[in-house]
Amino acid sequence: METKDLQKETELVSKAQNGDRQALSRLVIEYRNRIYHLGLRLTNSEQDAEDILQETFLIMIRKIHQFKGKSSFYTWLYRIAMNIGLQKLKSKPHKYQHVSIDDPDIEKISSTAASEWPTFDYGQISKKRFRKKLDELVEKMPDNYRTVFILRDLHELSTEDTSKILQITPSNTKIRLMRARNYLKVQLEGLVAEEGLI
Amino acid sequence: MKNQKELYKKVCEYLGCDLDSTPCKQIQEYLKACRNCEVYVDKIKKTVNIYKVADSCDQLPDDVCKKLFIILDLNNSDQPEESSEKD
Repeated sequence: METKDLQKETELVSKAQNGDRQALSRLVIEYRNRIYHLGLRLTNSEQDAEDILQETFLIMIRKIHQFKGKSSFYTWLYRIAMNIGLQKLKSKPHKYQHVSIDDPDIEKISSTAASEWPTFDYGQISKKRFRKKLDELVEKMPDNYRTVFILRDLHELSTEDTSKILQITPSNTKIRLMRARNYLKVQLEGLVAEEGLI
Repeated sequence: MKNQKELYKKVCEYLGCDLDSTPCKQIQEYLKACRNCEVYVDKIKKTVNIYKVADSCDQLPDDVCKKLFIILDLNNSDQPEESSEKD
């Protein structure tokens, strides 16, 4: 976030903490899409995403006076949403058996002949059937990998912010991200050929 | 390799090492000879990109948004403020 936007947001948060309903409303407008999207990716369920959205902002309104500004506001808000989402996941049986996630095999990467992927036909990606398969791949990842992938790669948050939200070390964030990306790449190698993306 | 310098920087950054540190220099030497490493990084980039493209299709549905503001007992001030900005 740019300094100017950050200043504007700090003012908005301060007004909201003093009971300004219009400021609260602006904060909801600012973050509603991102929180809904986070819930959707985390749970792969529109209903759960809606619940996460509502619960997050209800808590935000109730507890905004407790926000001390030690972290950025969005880190604080994301942490609320993430906790609600993870609780929701724990309360339900997993749809898929979680896969085991390993480190990339560096020796194999450097010694086996690798073929490049040409430019994809991204028009195919939005097709429902392919999209469903992509979602399944993400859903099969254990929660501690999926959360990092969603925050770092889909929401484009920094390693530092991701670490704060998930309350893990930056090194741990990097390791989980590397493994998650590698897992998805390996799975996609089969899928892209199967679906005629290349 | 056109992306090799970028790749080398990223690997060093990932390891949290200075660019001129011994481990980073060793990595640079290794990457010079590793064509597959570049292919690997390219595939990782494309993998992430595929997910980003797929993800951009997801929007907050209007009815969900309306319900949210009712539950929160807040006004959705999106529209009036946008029109006043245009004025």
